[in-house]
Amino acid sequence: MRKIAVLYSGNSHQHRTFYEPKYKAYLHKIVYLPELSSTTLDDVDVLIVPSQLHQRQVSKNLDIIMGVVNRGGTIVALGAQSQNWFPGHNWEFRPTNFWWWLEKDAKSGLILRQPEHDLFRYINLLDATWHYHGVFFPPVGAETLIEVDGDGAIMYIDKVSTPGTLIMTTLDPEYHYGSYFMPATERFLTGFLPWLAEGSI
Amino acid sequence: MTNHYSHDLKTPSFLFVDSGTYFGSQTTRKEQENPDTYVIDIYDLPSYDLSPHKILVIDGFADQHLLLQQSEQIRQFLDQGNILLFSGNLFLSWLPGASLFVPKTIHHHSDYNVHFHHPHPIFEGVEADNLTYNKGVSGFFARGHHPIPHQAEVLLTLEGGEPITYIDRYSTKGTILVHSGSNLLGYSMRSNTSGRIGTQLKAWLYEEYEQISKRRITS
Repeated sequence: MRKIAVLYSGNSHQHRTFYEPKYKAYLHKIVYLPELSSTTLDDVDVLIVPSQLHQRQVSKNLDIIMGVVNRGGTIVALGAQSQNWFPGHNWEFRPTNFWWWLEKDAKSGLILRQPEHDLFRYINLLDATWHYHGVFFPPVGAETLIEVDGDGAIMYIDKVSTPGTLIMTTLDPEYHYGSYFMPATERFLTGFLPWLAEGSI
Repeated sequence: MTNHYSHDLKTPSFLFVDSGTYFGSQTTRKEQENPDTYVIDIYDLPSYDLSPHKILVIDGFADQHLLLQQSEQIRQFLDQGNILLFSGNLFLSWLPGASLFVPKTIHHHSDYNVHFHHPHPIFEGVEADNLTYNKGVSGFFARGHHPIPHQAEVLLTLEGGEPITYIDRYSTKGTILVHSGSNLLGYSMRSNTSGRIGTQLKAWLYEEYEQISKRRITS
């Protein structure tokens, strides 16, 4: 089982998600972001960078965070990427349509690009379907797993931009689950964390 | 007196605590342009003198471990006759008199219905349905509550009577307003009556500050 750590900015939704026993069971370490500079990540295989961290502290500690991929480990970045913390994602803002499912012949617009990928033994497209805050245009050589039909990617795996692996998704399941909001996000986390721990990445 | 007056002119009444998060950044930018409000980074709180301000505003993206560490500073600010507006879900005991957030078990979407406990100027002219529903969907406003301290004044409840918004004038010498949802000051510029809350809340906060000052003089 891979050792997974998650960065934690001490807010209520992160607390609810990361300390929920069924998810905490997959977390080797919950790293309080203000203490990151005095914490070792050397024993960590996968570092989750959730969507609602204190952004200036992330920027300040970027060398430590990128150290995980630079030594061959994996970083999972959740949510919008309005900062250039991780290389090559080419994130573009999209106005969030919270309401697509109320429309006639509702379609989320999301499609699986690689339905045979190991991740989809753990989650299905509906588990990854709520809304998104933007899209990525990943670098050549990255594998797109979920994309918006006719637009960019909302989840991809990049093994070309760094010596390690970047798993980038615009989805923010830890925010919604921790805010008691959006049931699909619970199914997403229930499959996604075991895949990170033991699946084929 | 002249000095005191000019100090009041220069020091914004509101102090908004910036969580530093992406979702908080829109509010932070808005508050930075607001002449009534001074914005500080949450991690600057320990070295910051709160006393020139009247109203401390903290939202649900704030680091509650830091707030717990600073709970004495926050209590002192309140005991000086000031006001704290907290909107969010408490999971640590840093707020005087307050209990931890209790999520609501939802059996039906009507469980999220918002009710006025009694009329209050903050919600004057606001229709309850405009709080409950957003494009016909409920659940955005509050998804649980904080059990109230002794003698608190309840403003809003959920369908089962759970108090989601209350005023506490007894746990400290100031006033605490707790709302178990998103920043109540953010309810402005909306297409329905919920947009009245921001302005009315602000007016009420100023008025409440004056009332606290009077209470202190007479007590």
